[in-house]
Amino acid sequence: MDHSINLYVVADGMGGHLAGEVASKVAVEMIQKNVNRWISTNSSEEELFDFPDRTLSRIGNYVASSIKLANRVIYEMSRGYTEYKGMGTTIVVLAVMPSTVIAANVGDSKAYLIRGNIIEPLSKEHNMVTEQLEMGLISKEEAENSPLKHILTRNLGSSDTVDVDVFEVEPMNNDRFLLCTDGLTEHISDDEILSIVKNGDDPEHLCRQLISEANERGGNDNITVSLIFVNKLDSERRGIIERFVYLFKK
Amino acid sequence: MARVILVFNKKVIAEYPFAKNSITIGRGEGNDIVIDNLAVSSLHARIDKTEDAYILTDLQSTNGTFVNDKRIVSHRLQHKDKIIVGKHLLFFALSKEEQAKAKEAVLDETMILDTARQKDLLAKQAERKGMEVAAKKEKIGVINFIDGSSQAEIELSKKLTKIGKSETSEIPLDGFFMPPTAATISRRPNGYAITPTGKTKVKVNNQVVKESHFLKDFDTIEIGSFKFQFYTQETEEKKTS
Repeated sequence: MDHSINLYVVADGMGGHLAGEVASKVAVEMIQKNVNRWISTNSSEEELFDFPDRTLSRIGNYVASSIKLANRVIYEMSRGYTEYKGMGTTIVVLAVMPSTVIAANVGDSKAYLIRGNIIEPLSKEHNMVTEQLEMGLISKEEAENSPLKHILTRNLGSSDTVDVDVFEVEPMNNDRFLLCTDGLTEHISDDEILSIVKNGDDPEHLCRQLISEANERGGNDNITVSLIFVNKLDSERRGIIERFVYLFKK
Repeated sequence: MARVILVFNKKVIAEYPFAKNSITIGRGEGNDIVIDNLAVSSLHARIDKTEDAYILTDLQSTNGTFVNDKRIVSHRLQHKDKIIVGKHLLFFALSKEEQAKAKEAVLDETMILDTARQKDLLAKQAERKGMEVAAKKEKIGVINFIDGSSQAEIELSKKLTKIGKSETSEIPLDGFFMPPTAATISRRPNGYAITPTGKTKVKVNNQVVKESHFLKDFDTIEIGSFKFQFYTQETEEKKTS
């Protein structure tokens, strides 16, 4: 793997008889493989799958395109084989480089940036409740208790094309990035995530703490949490990024 | 506890509480629910209680087992399902607690709704609320130089806009002390945020920015000797990302 980029992917599969696990595995492998391949060959944006997005950087387009390609493959698999019928997965990707951090997602798995005492999303939730909220059909309180939270409007595998939300930020020293599946955020608010993540320096311990807190409150979904810490970044942005990742499944 | 209610000729004949993990239905004496009718096989069907469901299985009966008028081999029973065995009707009923649990289980499962049904559902809800479903308008940020440069209005259409001396900057600024990238403005889910990236001071409304700062309409940004104003405007263009 090229040392100038570190790629982290969290996927939450859906579909019975292990099909969900197949979908998430295919997505993770394809995204890793394609982004790294395009970086090593320094591919131009025109060579990628689907049209490039002019609002994104070149690497941003690599990430978006790799997700679109994974979607197409999962979609074709689910159409071609009865045992894979109806399979799909959510995805959230974080590409970390000294100059830029790129977050991309489809579905309800999330990315957060914790900088100073502020937590902010770097992903969008693609479910019915968010659509209703954006259209002003329901209030924030209604959204939090809505049973439509689990109805996704986008995922990988259900349609031949997919829109990906991508965000790009400049990393700073002491930034902490968190990737997680909806099992975590279902039970823990953003502010609570902030106070837990700020309250320690051992990422492994913090991930365990987040998951045990969610489980105590009745989390029965599989939960995956990944924390990435940025430090030793010099002002020229050529420094190394120390990183820690921990994934846990219940 | 779930129950099975046996009905014949529109009359309730018996009620069987689901006290075991498995109950059988048939003409033979050994069954839990005995139906003495020639249309019923001696061992006709069975209902098994699993962790979260009741499964009805036809035991290769001569005349078949039907649920809600459809012939089944195996069927996951729902509250108020009508099971037909020969000429007899069996109502399946869950207890109140089980009904609530079943409802929750359905809603807890992540599922995907296709685009057409989504739009349909949202449009109907909007209609009920007396709203019109307008095309989503996007707000785009704009930077306008106040002094220090002759550049015109610049749209912040990129997810990450770099400001500085570097040739790859979307907003190029020159000057001896100007670093290659002095600041970046990123377009995030919560809005536009400016982050200083070099040693040059970045001020918003005369306050020095240290980490990220979310921009509001008509904020004044200063980088070195350059000064500009930020605001958002609506675009008709549909999102392409």
